[in-house]
Amino acid sequence: MAEKTDYDSDVEKKWCPGCGNFGILDAMKDALFNLDISPEKILIISGIGQAAKTPHYLKCNLFHALHGRALPLATGAKIANHELTILVNSGDGDCYGEGGNHFIHAVRRNIDITLLVHNNKVYGLTKGQASPTSDEGMVTKMQSEGVISETFNPLSVAMSLGAGFVARGFSGKTGHLSRIIQEGIKHKGLSLIDILQPCVSFNQLNTFDWYRKRVWDLFEEEYIPDDFNKAMELAGMWGDKIPIGIIYQKEKPSYTDKIHKLKEGALVSGKYLPEKVQKVIESL
Amino acid sequence: MSVDISIMIGGEAGQGIQTVGELLARVCRKAGLYLMAINDFESRIRGGHSFFQIRISDRPVNAPHHRINLLLSLDRKSYELHKEELLDDGIAMMEKSNSLSGKNVLGIPFLELAEKSGGKITSNTVAAGACLALLGAPVEIFREIVSETFAAKGEAVIGKNLNAALAGYEAVKTFSYKYAFEWRPDKSKGILSDGSRAIALGALAADCRFAAFYPMSPATGIMAHLASAANEFPLVVEQAEDEISAINMIIGASFAGARAMTATSGGGFCLMTEGLGLAGITETPVVIVNAQRPGPATGLATRTAQADLLFVINAAQGEFPRFVFAPGSPAEAFETTARAFHLAEKYQVPVIILADQFLNDSMFIVEKPFSVPDKIERFIACDDDIKNPSEYKRYAYTPSGISPRALPCAGKAIVMVSGNEHNEDGHTSESIETRIKMVDKRNAKLSGMLSEMNPPDTYFPESEILLAGWGSTRGAVKEAVDMLRKDGINAGCVNFSDLWPFPADSVKKALQVCKNFYAVEQNSTAQLGRLIKEQTALSYSGAVLKYDGRPFYPFEIADGIKKQMR
Repeated sequence: MAEKTDYDSDVEKKWCPGCGNFGILDAMKDALFNLDISPEKILIISGIGQAAKTPHYLKCNLFHALHGRALPLATGAKIANHELTILVNSGDGDCYGEGGNHFIHAVRRNIDITLLVHNNKVYGLTKGQASPTSDEGMVTKMQSEGVISETFNPLSVAMSLGAGFVARGFSGKTGHLSRIIQEGIKHKGLSLIDILQPCVSFNQLNTFDWYRKRVWDLFEEEYIPDDFNKAMELAGMWGDKIPIGIIYQKEKPSYTDKIHKLKEGALVSGKYLPEKVQKVIESL
Repeated sequence: MSVDISIMIGGEAGQGIQTVGELLARVCRKAGLYLMAINDFESRIRGGHSFFQIRISDRPVNAPHHRINLLLSLDRKSYELHKEELLDDGIAMMEKSNSLSGKNVLGIPFLELAEKSGGKITSNTVAAGACLALLGAPVEIFREIVSETFAAKGEAVIGKNLNAALAGYEAVKTFSYKYAFEWRPDKSKGILSDGSRAIALGALAADCRFAAFYPMSPATGIMAHLASAANEFPLVVEQAEDEISAINMIIGASFAGARAMTATSGGGFCLMTEGLGLAGITETPVVIVNAQRPGPATGLATRTAQADLLFVINAAQGEFPRFVFAPGSPAEAFETTARAFHLAEKYQVPVIILADQFLNDSMFIVEKPFSVPDKIERFIACDDDIKNPSEYKRYAYTPSGISPRALPCAGKAIVMVSGNEHNEDGHTSESIETRIKMVDKRNAKLSGMLSEMNPPDTYFPESEILLAGWGSTRGAVKEAVDMLRKDGINAGCVNFSDLWPFPADSVKKALQVCKNFYAVEQNSTAQLGRLIKEQTALSYSGAVLKYDGRPFYPFEIADGIKKQMR
């Protein structure tokens, strides 16, 4: 059994004091500890942004990749070795903006990874521009008249694409978030966990206090997330009451489950077959 | 008498031009002849104009010929478009009901004969039979090839096509054709392959486990061949949502321990450049095929070019080592692909293979057998190879620049990789000292990489003038040298396939001996010539450049050189 401190990294955390990311980091460590997955057995892949720094701040195998591209990279790694436990740390800009196309197709593939989207509804690393999830009307230096595009709703988009695990967490409730992450890792297939994460520097609208007044804990409600229509309704809720918890869950075969040859073992452990290559050549 | 016959089969897309062409090619191969064939088509599925041009010889041929001995027109347009290329005593054969009153036109009722033999669908077999009969090909060989070709479709279909084949033979029985020759059936000179298949087989022979792609001409064929073989191997071929995804998928797969590749053309490669840089800075081995076509942007989607050389050498922001290879034939495409996987892992760098539409879509007799290694060397470190696995550093400084590469989640060693500049551990670092040391570490690989580079292929290397080409034009350039020498010009050639890191010393050695050298390339700015000048300070005296999207004919090169010499 691992110790909780086994997941600590001595790398300096380059986030603002009070950043919502600290709560997510704590919840991740707690979830991994509770699932008893040792650091050397975890692979965390990230793109670019404040969220993408996360894997450096806990002990794990990691690939800190390009802006928006964590999902295809994770997809390739999972296909190569589907026995790996893979998590992705992404943000609202990284996952829903730059990587929007990859998000759509990763959900469609139902690749078995746990996708944590640190959704602070603003660009942090580039200093405060609107993100796809910024509320309509939010004023920034770049959007001086307020955001005029519709707000991207990752939960209902993922559900409409057939996602099998759609959840929302809040970085101010780490125990609750840890529980979602544990369920997400256990779920076979793509698990989307959109995490409400206040940005103390650039988002003065969606603050910790703002969220604390609004979040509605579905675990406490003993809500059963198996009804698509009910889940769609919850996914669309925003404003005075914001549901957090597992919104929808449905088991179905993941991408690598559907590739029959992977039942014999991971691609990386397959055997080189020179005689068969020779046969293919000779058949010409 | 030596045999050198070119047959063109022209028609609309969807008329079965390739079916006829491939039947002819397989008969010639079976008879022990050499051949090469080009595929010329438009970016459409039906209609328009396409042709398949096959050159048959009793000596090796590696480039198309510009004059046609026999034109099989499956529509009227093909005759109008190509009659000027037909030799004076050549024949233009076409459907009788379509027949135009033209020079050397031979009308044969293909459709009527097909209806009698087994239905309209067999009319291409009738046409192939008539072509072969004109050339004097033994009917037995054609019968065997027809039986093999239609074997999967059952006895009835074979029977109908055999009837059709005979009907074609009978139809031209009484016709005497100047270019008929004596067929001396011999054993096949090699396998029949296009460049796409050779690259796919090279990947299989290198134990490629994962390939991701987004469809794009002329690279799709490579992935189609891989996908068709994938069931037999521990190999997954995934169609990505775009090229950006494709390259990031292969980086992820390679990171996790699977040999991985992608194939695209210039436009897709543009989208991959960000990922190329990621492979560079994270030192992740990947193989990327860029099957070139004329650009920029969509350019000419189904045609050929060699205009991405300087682009791929320099692609992506920043600086990092990479290999760039441009194979000169299918045999070399096979070897180069297998070697690309090996070198990518040995040096932990991206490897780019520059193919093109001509190489990918043209068929050649490959004499040198594709040889498959018994074992694959992986250059991967496991816990036992690492002194203290719990202290493992993915980017440990070493004199060669190559750090032991462990795989994630494979043991005690924790593997941390970052596209941000990083320290030896793999964590992000902005330290001045680390930045300099990491750039130097990556660049340190260049001297080892350079030692892997083969010198250019040469032909009459001691000549007064040398033609310098690269990649798929090798066959045409060599044949142009033969033509020039026949005309009393003391010419030779130097053909490059190992292009980056640039083997400057061996290039200097090869080029210093001549009085003048000329760049011969399928681009408009002499990219190889410019590269040689930059890397060796040797200047090309002129250039023969073709950038109309069609492959070089040897005579064009020879004529171009003569003009330059004046």
